[in-house]
Amino acid sequence: MKKIRNINRYTFLLAVGVSLASCKKDFQEVNTDPIGVNAVSADKLLAPALTNVLNANVIRNRNFNNELMQVTVDLGEAEGRIFRYDVRRNFADYTWNTWFVELTNFRDINTIASQEGSVNTSYQAISKIAEAWTFQLLTDTYGDVPYTQANQGKAGILEPVYDKQKDIYLSLLTKLEEANTLLTAGQAIVPSSDPVYQGDVTKWRRLGNSLYLRLLLRIAGKADVNAQVVAKMKEMIDTNPSKYPIMENNTHTAKILWNGTNSSTALYSSPYMISVRAVDFRGPGISEFFMNNLSTWADPRINQAYGRNNVNRWGIAPGPGGYVGVPSGYPIGGSPVKQAYFYSEGQSGSPLSLQTDPYTGIIMNVAEVDFILAEAASRGWINGTGEAYYYKGVADAINYWIPSLFTNGNDAAVRSYALAGDFDWDNTFPLDNATVGSSSKLQLIHLQKYYAMFLVDFQQWFEYRRTGHPFLPKGSGLTNGGRMPARLNYPTVSISTNATNYKNVVASQGPDDINTLVWWQRP
Amino acid sequence: MNQTFTRLGVMLRHALHSKRKDATQHLKKLRTSKFIYTAILCCKVLVFGVLIQGISAQQLLAQTTQNVSLKGTVVDDADGRGIPGITISDSNRKVYGTTNENGAFSVTVPKGTVLNFSMIGYTTIVRTINESQTGLNIRIKESSSSLNEVVITTALGIKRSERALGYATTTLDSNAFTDAVASNWTDALSGKVAGLNLVRNGGPAGSNKIILRGENNLTGDNEALIVIDGVVASSSARRTSATGGGAYGTSGDIMPADFGSALNDLNPDDIESVTTLKGPAASALYGQRGANGAIVITTKSANKNRKRLGITFTSNTSWEEVGRGPDIQQEYGAGLDGVAYFSHNASADGASTRSTSASWGPSFAAGGMFFQYDPATKTQGTMRTPWVAYANPIDGFFKTGIETSNSVSLDGTVKNVGLRFSASHGNNEWIVPNTGLERTSVSLSANAKLTKKLNLVLKAAYNNRHSDNLPATGYGNQSLMYWFMFAQPNVNIDWYRDYWVPGQEQRKFVDITTSNPESPYAISYEYINAQRRNGVLGSLQATYNFTKELSLMVRSSIDYNHDTRETRRPYDASGLRYTQGSFREQNINSYEINADFLLRYNKSLTKDLQLTATAGGSQMRNRYHKAELRADGLAVPGIYRLDNNLNPLISVPDTARYNINSFYGVASLAYKNYLYLDLTARQDWNSTLASPLRTDNVGFFYPSASLSFIASDFWKLPKQISYLKLRGSIAQVGSGATTPYLTAYNYILAANGIYPGPAMTNPSVLPNLNLKPLSTITYEVGAELRLFKSRLNFDFAAYTGSTKNQILSRVIDRSSGYNIAVFNAGRVDNKGLEMSVNATLLQSKSFKWTMNGTFTANRNKVKELADSAVVLRSGPLSTSGGQIMAVVGGSLGDIYGFGLQRSPDGQIVFDATTGLARENASDLKYFGNAMPKFRFSFGTAVTVDKFTASVLFDAQFGGVGHSLTFTRMASLGKLKLTLPGRYNGLIGEGVVQNADGSYSPNTTVATDIEGYYDSLYGSRQLEGSIFRTDYLKFREANISYAFSKRLVSSLGLSKMTLGVYGRNLFIWSPWPAFDPEFGTLAGSDIVQGFETGQLPSTRTYGVRLVVGIN
Repeated sequence: MKKIRNINRYTFLLAVGVSLASCKKDFQEVNTDPIGVNAVSADKLLAPALTNVLNANVIRNRNFNNELMQVTVDLGEAEGRIFRYDVRRNFADYTWNTWFVELTNFRDINTIASQEGSVNTSYQAISKIAEAWTFQLLTDTYGDVPYTQANQGKAGILEPVYDKQKDIYLSLLTKLEEANTLLTAGQAIVPSSDPVYQGDVTKWRRLGNSLYLRLLLRIAGKADVNAQVVAKMKEMIDTNPSKYPIMENNTHTAKILWNGTNSSTALYSSPYMISVRAVDFRGPGISEFFMNNLSTWADPRINQAYGRNNVNRWGIAPGPGGYVGVPSGYPIGGSPVKQAYFYSEGQSGSPLSLQTDPYTGIIMNVAEVDFILAEAASRGWINGTGEAYYYKGVADAINYWIPSLFTNGNDAAVRSYALAGDFDWDNTFPLDNATVGSSSKLQLIHLQKYYAMFLVDFQQWFEYRRTGHPFLPKGSGLTNGGRMPARLNYPTVSISTNATNYKNVVASQGPDDINTLVWWQRP
Repeated sequence: MNQTFTRLGVMLRHALHSKRKDATQHLKKLRTSKFIYTAILCCKVLVFGVLIQGISAQQLLAQTTQNVSLKGTVVDDADGRGIPGITISDSNRKVYGTTNENGAFSVTVPKGTVLNFSMIGYTTIVRTINESQTGLNIRIKESSSSLNEVVITTALGIKRSERALGYATTTLDSNAFTDAVASNWTDALSGKVAGLNLVRNGGPAGSNKIILRGENNLTGDNEALIVIDGVVASSSARRTSATGGGAYGTSGDIMPADFGSALNDLNPDDIESVTTLKGPAASALYGQRGANGAIVITTKSANKNRKRLGITFTSNTSWEEVGRGPDIQQEYGAGLDGVAYFSHNASADGASTRSTSASWGPSFAAGGMFFQYDPATKTQGTMRTPWVAYANPIDGFFKTGIETSNSVSLDGTVKNVGLRFSASHGNNEWIVPNTGLERTSVSLSANAKLTKKLNLVLKAAYNNRHSDNLPATGYGNQSLMYWFMFAQPNVNIDWYRDYWVPGQEQRKFVDITTSNPESPYAISYEYINAQRRNGVLGSLQATYNFTKELSLMVRSSIDYNHDTRETRRPYDASGLRYTQGSFREQNINSYEINADFLLRYNKSLTKDLQLTATAGGSQMRNRYHKAELRADGLAVPGIYRLDNNLNPLISVPDTARYNINSFYGVASLAYKNYLYLDLTARQDWNSTLASPLRTDNVGFFYPSASLSFIASDFWKLPKQISYLKLRGSIAQVGSGATTPYLTAYNYILAANGIYPGPAMTNPSVLPNLNLKPLSTITYEVGAELRLFKSRLNFDFAAYTGSTKNQILSRVIDRSSGYNIAVFNAGRVDNKGLEMSVNATLLQSKSFKWTMNGTFTANRNKVKELADSAVVLRSGPLSTSGGQIMAVVGGSLGDIYGFGLQRSPDGQIVFDATTGLARENASDLKYFGNAMPKFRFSFGTAVTVDKFTASVLFDAQFGGVGHSLTFTRMASLGKLKLTLPGRYNGLIGEGVVQNADGSYSPNTTVATDIEGYYDSLYGSRQLEGSIFRTDYLKFREANISYAFSKRLVSSLGLSKMTLGVYGRNLFIWSPWPAFDPEFGTLAGSDIVQGFETGQLPSTRTYGVRLVVGIN
């Protein structure tokens, strides 16, 4: 009897033991997400990350840069009136949030492409180029930003420290140098992973070096780095150009071509279709500054002959007064009548509209490189007078929209167009003259560069902050004391979620408002 | 030490139980002069005294001279059923035994003893015993006391005598849900249970989140567990479609609609009782999901004693209308900057002024004539027409909703099988045109005693819910309330009825004002959120009684739901995404399967000490699978089919699954029916804590202990005290939460897989590879006191506890590379008080007046955090800096944001040039907590003959919330508040800052009146739109009439009652929008703090008829 009881006892214990062991059975499998994956190859991360950054750039170019830089005037009643320099705090959030989150993907591409077994030097280089592109946008927009410790949430760093803008710049220059070297190997990448050049890594090398020039020029005015910057430019352009291929024509221009349809959900739908209502797209008037120059020049880009169905290439609709704009910064309460505006999708007659145009997703174009070189040459940092680069820039800028209108910068048609518009190159002009309305080489270059960088993220604003060109008329309705905002404030969420580092950066950089100068703006 | 206790115990025994005269006198003295002192002393020595007393009772027994034995049954006088748990004691409260589950008893007592057969809820029977007897049949009557909740269903379906519980519970019977029927029966919990809080989302299918004892957890799981007849029904709580965008839907994505949880589908007529197990001690046995308390619902089953078939028919009809709303101005029409004219499109009067949502335009009183919208031509009228205000959107658009429901139930016993069957059908046409839902449910309950030892219980319910359209909630182009905020007083709402541009039907909408807010009729008839849901809830339970002492229960249950949801968006859908329309179809399969067993062992250890030991285990599987196909962009407008897609279909799958395995045990010791000790232990293993790499911390163990002491049975208390119970408990509960896949880093498909590859992206939510289970420890004490023959009753509970390692998600700076991080929060302490009282003030044969009330207070404090501050949620307007932030020393639910600039003495600082208020957008300011500090309720009922009338009020105080509805409407000049100063300007009350930094009174006239109100109430700061969420609600009113028996039986019926009722009749509150009791949909959750375009809450009136056909 006792034996039986013992057996029972053992059976019971065994049963308990077995059931305890099975208490965690399948748990690992059950708690593994069947949809997500724990490892990916580098090519998988590239296309959406590039597209998302570009989407944000395109959107904010439209409703921030273009308002500040007098491309458009939003006559509606939208929150804040950017064209009056009235910038609400939350304007800072969108770009900060998008850029940083995508940088996680960009940096991850380098990590994956450096791992044993999946090494790919081209993806490493592209990662660095994309990182330089995005971090330059970040630091030029906000000033000091987290860099070294940024994007390391996975490693437990939830409150990264802010790096100084100078340090960020110097590090980005190094990354671009590395990228140029890495791309000499020319290792193949998956074409469909690359919406910019469809796998042509030689063009990525040109983009990397062209960005290199953009970065160098932006900080060239700082005495502490000027010598270093100038030497590098000279090496790239004059002494060792074969080592540093750059963009030379519009086939090198970095862009993502949108699908050209009015779909908002398909692959590579235009951000204007995804995020802007048609009625909003046609809402803002074009400003007097932007429109009237084009009219005066009889610019091919507003010539109906070069567009489609009697609509010019930029899809600009004439106002009641024709191709004229409205003054920006008009007095409060004195709403002017909207004149010219950008056609939108869905208007009667289906006019050509930038809202669906495939060509609006520009990362960097060749014309900008031309004008960078025109300025460098004018300043005597590289060989030449600037004239050739200047006309090449004018031609490349127009050719982007109207291919082959001009053969090249030496085309006589370019010169006559500039002469007729009274913006022909004049070597007798001084390099610079800060007096509003005066002539200078920089004013010439930057007025054309302004049109060349139409739609390109915040580049017009950055360059205006750096050079003060082109001269923008100032209306009486401006707020902020009529001062062009020098930066965007940090997002509100940073104040509370990264409090210590936020306090530190405010202490070192200055108050967190739109008038605090970033490092390269300071004398 | 031991000796001291023994002596104390002996003293106590002598003092209280000696038969000697002097001792009795001594006791009297004690009662009169030292009662309180003794009570305290007794509490201190309670445990020991009781033990000692047990021994001494046996000694006393041995001293008696002649004993007689007595055997018999105690039965209910009404139905002859045996009653378990009847206490058999003598006049000195010496307990001789209790009746068993069949009502049988067997006791041996001294000859001549006067025996009391008593139990709460029954009239005590007194018998003098002079000789041994067998087969004694004692019929006992239910007492008229309203407190009949003697046996209640506790965790795991274990039925317990209420007196044995050492923790707080509240049981509501079916009347609580059927007297004043709510569209969602859980609404009826409001004001009836101390410590219970509902977070509501509006709409016809609006679901509620039930929170017990305050929220000590904000972003994690904080809902009470819902158990229907032993079936955990929480898996079906995923209530929203969350098909695209959020409640702040200005991105243009599809906005969420509340599709309701399956819990809403329960037919209130099927509810027998609802027991609320508030604290962790009560729900510890439910394991981790009981950490936030539990709502245990028992549905009706066959009435065992009915010999014939019983049929009950109920019919209910109710009407609802908007209860209260913002204070809308009707004096000025559309226009910006105080413009003096109006023109729909450009006209002879000037440029078009229609494209604005603001109402700073011309005054109606001035009686102007303008070129306005002509509904006949759908464009500018050819003539100037009078400038008048039309009905405001509350009166003009919302209609009276109507809800009808009918149900029938049959029950009876056939041989050994008790059966109850019920069917119900309900139809709701909501206050928004073309919205509402239809519900059908069928339920079956069967109870069979197969053999003497084997009992089977089957419960099954099938629910079908069908809706052609449910309103999207939130703030965004596709939402109705967005239009509501923007509606112009100069626009006749009827103009919106014909919303297509002529000749462009299904392609283009007319824009009467701006193109932003869509016509509310277009939203109702073209922006469709449809649903078909079929749900089955079933359980099968078998109990086998091996011996009288040992029984085994095995049970298996399932809660299964299949939900098909469709969203349709027309061409030209307002918002930017769907210019070519959209059709999305979701197929959701979710289920939860539970299998558990309980082994019960019941034994009298000694004559006075009863042990019930229960051991059990369970396995739970929860699965959720959603397949969503999207045709964003339709080839042919107005055809909503997946094969009408313009672009490739997008597939958006979603899944969640988790398992919990558990073992648990309870030991219940009952000593002489006045002292009860419960010890529980449970071990859970939760798969959500496992990662692909490890399973080492998936298990957690937690114990609880609770003690109940019926002081009124231990001491002979003054006769005014009918019942006094003291209780206390300590419980620890763990939880691994129910959100899976938080422990591994996973790349996710980028943009729903539209990129070739398909391309992937890093997650935006940072997982936690070392996620730990949370642990809560709670201490609770309570008392239940009934006075004057149970006519005045109090229940009191106080608790304090602390939660460690809450699993929360926090908003992080994007420079970390991620949006949100999952983390274990440090420590949050929570404490509170609950009190309820009910009283029968007057009672006679045909008249009864009762009152009841509850009071609840709850506080929590953040004690430890990984970082100094953690942002738990961001508000919808980032300009205002609004966020819910946890800081050490603060509470969960603290709202922060930007404030107005204020002088040192607290006055608003205005700009000396513009006269506008200045915001301080660099420092985050604390504005209060989203959770109210106090709640209370008050109700009274009067019965006169066949009439019963009752009312219920409830209130909350001490919380704040941010109102998006208010801030938008104030900035746009929609509210009466914005009337002063138009045209002439206004001087804001406050100060200006002088050049030297000092302050002087503001004298600047703000001429930009639009800017002025925007600076005070707009979105640049949070302060202007923070309001207290205090309210007093007239929650329920009910009048019912029970037809006389004679009339009823002459009609061949057994009973008939007719009632009229009202719900949410009035709300008194400073809240500026609809209802201070709001919740906002966020994913599958409903959250507090930031009101984001709430739907109106409604006032309901109804009629109810109940007919019983024997």
